[in-house]
Amino acid sequence: MVAHPLIAFVLMLTAPLIAAAELDTEIDRLKADVAELASDLYELEEAFLHPADTQVAVFLTLARSDALTLDSIELSVNDTPVASHFYSERELRSLQQGGVQQLFIGNVPVGEHRLKAVLTARTANDRYVRREVAHRFQKEPGEFRIQLSVDARAPEYEPQIGFAEWK
Amino acid sequence: MTAVEAHCQRAPATRKTRFCFLLLWSAALAAFPVAANERPGPQWQVGLAEFALAAGRAEEALVRIGETRGDAASWVRAQALLATGQVEAAKRRLEQQLTADSHRGDAALILGQMATQSGDDRGAREYFNTASRLGFGNTRQRALYELSMLDMADGKPDAAGQVLAGMEPGYWAALGYANLAAHFSKQDLNASRPLVALRVALAMSEQDVVSDRSNSLRSQLLVRAAYLSFQQEDYDKAIGFLEQVPLDSYYTPRALYLHGLSLDARDNYRGAMQSWHRAKKYPLAYPGVEDSWLGMGRGYDLSGYLGQAGEAYLAASASYESERATLRELASRIREEGAWKALVNDARGTNAQWFLADSRTLAQPRLAYLMRFMESGEAQRKVNRVAELVRLDKILASREQSLTVFRRSLSDLSSVPVATAVDEQQRLNARLEQLKARALEMQQRMAGASSSGAELKAVASMLAGVGRGLGSLETRLEGRTPHLSGLERRIDAALSRLQSLRGRAQQLRISAEQQLNDEAIAFVSRQDERMVLALDKAEQRIAHLYEYLALESIERGAQ
Repeated sequence: MVAHPLIAFVLMLTAPLIAAAELDTEIDRLKADVAELASDLYELEEAFLHPADTQVAVFLTLARSDALTLDSIELSVNDTPVASHFYSERELRSLQQGGVQQLFIGNVPVGEHRLKAVLTARTANDRYVRREVAHRFQKEPGEFRIQLSVDARAPEYEPQIGFAEWK
Repeated sequence: MTAVEAHCQRAPATRKTRFCFLLLWSAALAAFPVAANERPGPQWQVGLAEFALAAGRAEEALVRIGETRGDAASWVRAQALLATGQVEAAKRRLEQQLTADSHRGDAALILGQMATQSGDDRGAREYFNTASRLGFGNTRQRALYELSMLDMADGKPDAAGQVLAGMEPGYWAALGYANLAAHFSKQDLNASRPLVALRVALAMSEQDVVSDRSNSLRSQLLVRAAYLSFQQEDYDKAIGFLEQVPLDSYYTPRALYLHGLSLDARDNYRGAMQSWHRAKKYPLAYPGVEDSWLGMGRGYDLSGYLGQAGEAYLAASASYESERATLRELASRIREEGAWKALVNDARGTNAQWFLADSRTLAQPRLAYLMRFMESGEAQRKVNRVAELVRLDKILASREQSLTVFRRSLSDLSSVPVATAVDEQQRLNARLEQLKARALEMQQRMAGASSSGAELKAVASMLAGVGRGLGSLETRLEGRTPHLSGLERRIDAALSRLQSLRGRAQQLRISAEQQLNDEAIAFVSRQDERMVLALDKAEQRIAHLYEYLALESIERGAQ
């Protein structure tokens, strides 16, 4: 429903009803304007909510396309849950084709921290697995990125999670 | 623990929050040195954009892709532009994609669909031809299907058949043959050509890898084939098709009705009544259910149980009356609350357990009406428009809320005097010097102990980093006030744009909802007319039965 009944009523009185084709064009125009605003806000947020000196970003990629069907992932920093995600079929397909998921972006102070990931997945040999991995990292001033790369090799298809750090 | 952290933990709560925020903000102003060879390459940005697009965040995908070059980036950009309503820009990108090294078929397919929507059949045919030539897998099959549809629209079913014959078995081929069968049904008096096409469609649908889609299409094809067989008075064949329809399908009610009708045609009234009895358990929204109620009366009548036939007709009549009351209630709720809430949102917002989902879908009257309503393409378009505007309003509302909070925090931050931060900086500098001295002392004391060397090196590097941050703090604090004012202005401007966009979204939603309401009211009215017709039939049957009983009684009296 619209934000306020009074606003809705006033709009209803003032707004001429639009024909279907024109309505589609207007909706497209609105979507384009929303996308433009979203782009400006995204830059603003990146710059000010996650300042580079304290920023940590965690990304997830799949090392090979056919080894695992990810079901979910949970991420904790210093035992505080910071992100969790259930994968849709489309998202999985994107990861399998080289897509990169930004799992988390946030601020941590300079010093040592512990990142923990819990993933559940179905392996290529039809096993449902849940694996926990932890990684210690040293946050220094400046942008900091961690890449989680998930792999599973035949014949066991045991999930392997690699961590790579970038500054 | 760093000096900043230690200070943050020691300071009182309010002061601590403000000061830590101030330090974080100051840190944001610092230039961060990052080695160029360590930054992720363009492929990384494409990967991030691809995932954002797959997750339904096209706006983010556009930001991620930025000015990244390359075929893959261009393809993602075109899709994101299309998803964010920038149709003309997307079209230009898709045209460029046709000469790229990848996704040429996919681009041609989308361009073909856009041409079809704008009524340019000639252009669409060219694009679909390109897509069928350059595309692979699903893209190629979809393009061939679209070409066959264009042939059928031109009144050339044989040409369409030739295109379909060149397709791989699967969903699109099955759909193409189903449409060919529908085309033949309209032209031919004899059902043999449509039936052959439907049989091919059934065989093709078995190869569809998406099982839900395949099952649904298969049920629909079986019911169509059964109906054609029934019309040709080939009741055994009709029964054979119908008995393959699964019981949890959307087409089950009409399959049960047709099954009863086929058994009835073979004078198996008892069997027919069993099928109709099962069909009666479904909501009257589904086709065939209202006739199944009448069928029960007919079954009793033909079996010689006239009293029970009367009761069955009366029960049918009562159920139609009750359905009309439900429809009146639904229409009045649509008028009061709008179709979006009354028909779409409320119907799907029930709390049934997931394991009951299938039976719930088929058994709930309001959901049944929603599904019937959504069978029409026009209704789908109208519901989609409102859904899209609701989604946009949600995004804008959430953005507005977070920006308002951020704006408030900035006002709080502006009220913290710079002098406080300068005092804190002096204290922190002193503390840092102490820590550095301790680290140096420990390093000298433990010289030669290799196990602690690395740790001390890390501490020294951390202290150096904190020192650099504190060293530049003063310079950064000087720029704080103008920077905060600039930021506040940017946020105010963004909030104003947000409010204007929300106003536009609400205005468009009123128009979209009005169109949806009109469509829904017309639909409910048609359903009511269907019930009136069924009620009329039931009353005629009752009158006919009573007339017959009265004549019987007179005859018996005369004897």
